[in-house]
Amino acid sequence: METFLQIIAVTGIVIGTGFSCVGVLGYFRFPDVFTRLHAVGKVSVFGVVFLLIAAAAATPLSWGHSVVLIFFLLATGPVTAHAIASAAYRIGLEMKDSVQDDLAEQVRGREE
Amino acid sequence: MISTVLILTIRIALFLHIILMGVALWRVWNGENVIDRMMAVDLLSTLTLAVLVLTALVFRERIYIDAALGLAALGFIGMVAFARYISDDRMY
Repeated sequence: METFLQIIAVTGIVIGTGFSCVGVLGYFRFPDVFTRLHAVGKVSVFGVVFLLIAAAAATPLSWGHSVVLIFFLLATGPVTAHAIASAAYRIGLEMKDSVQDDLAEQVRGREE
Repeated sequence: MISTVLILTIRIALFLHIILMGVALWRVWNGENVIDRMMAVDLLSTLTLAVLVLTALVFRERIYIDAALGLAALGFIGMVAFARYISDDRMY
């Protein structure tokens, strides 16, 4: 049982670190703010959540704290991403290679 | 045997996360625009969270996960208030 939990912990740490590295790489490689926000959201949700699954498996004394933090991160990650994307749209940052912008008519209609 | 692998994995993951924190801090220093720097601060907060969780795994203490919970709450409230301030020039 102990060996099984430690194998879960090693797998979780490897997957979480991989998601963090890929997210930071995407943050440097993507062209504009909105696509970068997608990569940063992956670090916030998947990277830390897999590390917390590893922490809950490897330290059985405190798995409740880890589960609370997992649900908190799953609730607040999309809210933060939406707030930042909304602010980026409102101050008028441009989207690279944008095909269609449905929100522009809505925002203009609300301001008139 | 597997315990040695676990300890080695935790050390390597901690090293990689600290390197990623340095990279994100460099991006706070010279980002392209204000939203880019704000995203870098959010990324730095998230990576600090990951380092705290790995520290809890190294020392096998639960207090680091409690500190990570407080840091997550403060980072969330700060980011939402700052995004609101940038888009509307208001804090509330």
